[in-house]
Amino acid sequence: MLISVDPNDPRPIYIQIMDEVRRALVVGTIGADAALPSVRQLAGDLRINPNTVSQAYRELEREGVVEVRRGQGTYVVQANVNAAQRRALARDVAVRALRDAHRNGLDVDELIQALRAAGLQQLKKVSRA
Amino acid sequence: MSVLPTAMIGTEFTVATHDLSKHYKYVPALRKVALQVPTGAVYLLVGPNGAGKSTTIKILLDLLRPTSGSVEVLGMDPHRHPALVRANVGYVPEQLNWGYGWMRVGRLLEHHARYFPSWDWEYAKHLSRAFQLRPDQRMSTLSKGQGRRVHIALALAHRPPVLILDEPTDGLDPVMRDDMLGVLIDHLAQTPTTVLLCTHHVTEFEQIADHIGVLRNNELCAQMPLHQLKQGLRRYRAEVPTGWGGKAMFGAAVLRRTTAPNEVDWTVWGEQDDVAHQFASSGAFVRDSATISLHDATLALLNPRETVTT
Repeated sequence: MLISVDPNDPRPIYIQIMDEVRRALVVGTIGADAALPSVRQLAGDLRINPNTVSQAYRELEREGVVEVRRGQGTYVVQANVNAAQRRALARDVAVRALRDAHRNGLDVDELIQALRAAGLQQLKKVSRA
Repeated sequence: MSVLPTAMIGTEFTVATHDLSKHYKYVPALRKVALQVPTGAVYLLVGPNGAGKSTTIKILLDLLRPTSGSVEVLGMDPHRHPALVRANVGYVPEQLNWGYGWMRVGRLLEHHARYFPSWDWEYAKHLSRAFQLRPDQRMSTLSKGQGRRVHIALALAHRPPVLILDEPTDGLDPVMRDDMLGVLIDHLAQTPTTVLLCTHHVTEFEQIADHIGVLRNNELCAQMPLHQLKQGLRRYRAEVPTGWGGKAMFGAAVLRRTTAPNEVDWTVWGEQDDVAHQFASSGAFVRDSATISLHDATLALLNPRETVTT
């Protein structure tokens, strides 16, 4: 699993890590019993404070997504993402898009229309290829 | 005076100053500074040259006496327990001229090891390898970057509970800087440490630091956890009616303002909902409220300003 974070993203870094783990579960790059990188490893790779990684792992454990096995590391427990989690993920994406639309003076309907049109176009492109 | 928080509550502080003032002759260097570095924090102390950063550090290490006020490191007064405090602090000074030019790197490490009972030779060797230090080189022949890395190795190798780093990336090229960050992070992952870090390069340490203190005009004008700064200091873009009179409503909470006839772009400190509400009740329409980078936040804190465009 590859985890990346962006310092310019408005989300705190530990939330970004949590979202990255959830994303990996949804797209299927990790499954049950998969080991997350160690705190030391991930902090070093991303050049972030080890406490930030610990915080993300602790929150994920609290949500029941991973479990910390003493002396061994952090492992995924809940591999299959349920419909509610997919909906939550979709909602996050929608909120980000809405905020961007608002900034550009567009309302919800205009955004939905544009999304449908763009989606169709994407589909055509894929089927042509 | 300041609308920004300058005190933290409910935390233990490993490094703290109380009403700390220092005057050189009649020139003030520090005015009633109450620094609070929580245990285990990576604390960024920022401020322009001459704001008092290095003076603060020197007082913490008993290299300077304050004019008034007191300081505490690990619960001790450095002036009463100078040896004990220095044994527990890893210090990387901004100026690297320590008068050891004739010493070879390896000899300096041995020399240093004797002062610190907790010196870890295995770790010192690991750091020397990571920093590509050559034990046979004389200190006086080292480049600025090499000298900096020797001092970082000296500071880390005894695994002190407190690290005080004054411009630790000064003189390092981008690759060395990145390596140094990697070494520091690895150190923090293994050794519980409280870090006080003075720097002009906030962006480099943005993802490592968790607290910030800002010295301006020899006073601490802001001090808080970084996430609080990121949450509370935001950039608002709003559309305003012609002749809008909202400016008076916000007062000192606005740190930077760019104003066009029907649009404003302001950097405002405050609870997001409160600020948005204030804008709305003044007849403005907030189009966008966004977090800003630590770089921009620091600039806004150090140098508030107003720009009017047409």
